[in-house]
Amino acid sequence: MKAWLRFLPSIIGKAIISEAIKKHNIEFNILRAHITPRGGKMLVDISGPEERESIKFIEEQGIEVNPIIRVVKKDKDKCIDCGACISLCPVKAINMEKDWSVEIDDQVCIGCGFCAKSCPTKSIILFE
Amino acid sequence: MKTINEINQKIKDGDTVVVTASEMTEIVAEYGPREAAREVDVVTTGTFGAMCSSGAFLNFGHSDPPIKMSRTYLNGVEAYSGLAAVDAYIGAAQPNRDPEIGLDYGGAHVIEDLIKGEEIELLAEAYGTDCYPLKHIRTSITLDKLNQAVMVNPRNCYQNYAVATNSTDEILYTYMGTLLPDFGNVTYSSAGELSPLINDPYFQTIGFGTKVFLCGTEGYIVGEGTQHSTDVERRHGVPTTSAGTLMVKGDMKKMDPEFLKAATMPKYGPTLYVGVGVPIPVLNEDIAASTGISDEDIICKVVDYGVPRRERPVIKETNYKELKSGKIEIDGVEVPTSPLSSLKRARRIAEELKKWIEEGEFILTSPVYRLPSRGYTVRPLEIRKPSIMVRELESKPVIVTHPDENIKDVARKLVENNINHIPVVDEKGILQGIVTSWDIADAIAKGKTRLQDVMTRKVIIAREDEPVEVVARRIDKYDISGLPIVDSNNRVKGIITAEDISRLVGKRDKGGESI
Repeated sequence: MKAWLRFLPSIIGKAIISEAIKKHNIEFNILRAHITPRGGKMLVDISGPEERESIKFIEEQGIEVNPIIRVVKKDKDKCIDCGACISLCPVKAINMEKDWSVEIDDQVCIGCGFCAKSCPTKSIILFE
Repeated sequence: MKTINEINQKIKDGDTVVVTASEMTEIVAEYGPREAAREVDVVTTGTFGAMCSSGAFLNFGHSDPPIKMSRTYLNGVEAYSGLAAVDAYIGAAQPNRDPEIGLDYGGAHVIEDLIKGEEIELLAEAYGTDCYPLKHIRTSITLDKLNQAVMVNPRNCYQNYAVATNSTDEILYTYMGTLLPDFGNVTYSSAGELSPLINDPYFQTIGFGTKVFLCGTEGYIVGEGTQHSTDVERRHGVPTTSAGTLMVKGDMKKMDPEFLKAATMPKYGPTLYVGVGVPIPVLNEDIAASTGISDEDIICKVVDYGVPRRERPVIKETNYKELKSGKIEIDGVEVPTSPLSSLKRARRIAEELKKWIEEGEFILTSPVYRLPSRGYTVRPLEIRKPSIMVRELESKPVIVTHPDENIKDVARKLVENNINHIPVVDEKGILQGIVTSWDIADAIAKGKTRLQDVMTRKVIIAREDEPVEVVARRIDKYDISGLPIVDSNNRVKGIITAEDISRLVGKRDKGGESI
């Protein structure tokens, strides 16, 4: 599951995530992070057999977990399928289909935003 | 074998055989050019690529009182108005005059918005004459209200083009899109076997007056495009790099926004994706063979855009079959590719043009003259004062330091020599890093003592064989004050600062001798 984790400044010093990983059998991948002394947010991908339990634990420790349904979306009306984005994707989430349309796999996308910045027609929408 | 008139008669009778260039490739591969020439009458091609050399003549009509517009702005984008009173030419690559908008909305966007029927703000300035007294206009226009809106693109449809990559360790933003460091990706712009001028490489059928598909309507070729060249290296008859070009014209009022799109190449500028399809009458076996060319037989060159010079080094040769597979190999490493031009829309254009011809809506024309197929080369622009190379700069003996040197000693060196940058080198003089006086101040404030913990390891450098202008651009881009000069072995040879460069530019502007 991909989710934004939000921290309050009061718990910024606690090692909650490492504890969650020690306690539960999960894979935890940080896709983006922005942490300051005034709190912060992290885009993460949590998976594994104890995904549900680990999320419950993280929430109990005071981290707000906001699951995200989508990371990225292609604006079909604006996209001209030029493919400028394809070779820029670090995780190969963007592919050319057989009919030469460009498709972005939301499941694979880590939301780095490099494609969106480089799109000549500004057709890639990143969800915050 | 066949004439254009005979083919046109078949089009009118509704029994012509039209195929797209991709279909023709398969037909020729299976039946051979002789049989293909007998069966097929017309091959349709298509491309939908970023073509910066595009634009449109607009006639606004006369106001009352009348004005002789000397400067015009459309939604903030300047159109060239050094024509008669109310004519202007809007160029696709022109950025917005509002620096906040800049490259995000340029001439291409104005053209697209006009075609979509949007209202555009027109601002015009004039100096005022007896016959044209008005000096200022602010109003709005739409495509319907204009007398004429004629797209005239001086250079479209390059016959093949370079394939771009980047050897440097920095991201480059180019007209070939974003290029990742260390050969991280490859971009190409030709539609390969679908591309119009690749299918008729010696222009046996294409010329002035050839009717084409242009942005969803009929357009015409009005001659060879600018930078048209013919005397280049060829393989299977097809140029291996940019060669022939087209100048095309069409009525914007009839265009379909589906086949034209404004875009901005990040940190490069606005450009217009133009949809062009050229019908090629299959008059003989020779033309059948040319239109039968496959992606695999169209050779092109991967070029290093990391070298910002006119002649960029060729990294390797490839072909469009490889490029369209999504990856090519450079130095044993798989590198992902991006097409930049829309292959999906290129195919749609070829299909659309095929449909028009099949349905008898599009009759072929005989060109008044064929595009020149020999004797053309692209001339360079020689700069009267040649660029000064970094090597030629007057450079004081360079002060260097070593990674194990004490911060205090480094601080002393900075002060004694009245300098702000010190390159850090190893015992062979090879660059390891750089420290500035600010780094030293920062280190002292934070109580750091070892140079290794303070120096910047990823150093922006100047090479001896680079023109000074290229280095000036780098100083601007990274907002730095100076950078070390290194030779081909990364040995430090000197240091160049923003001050050195401005002093140099100052001298040249005054017409003085160059350093």
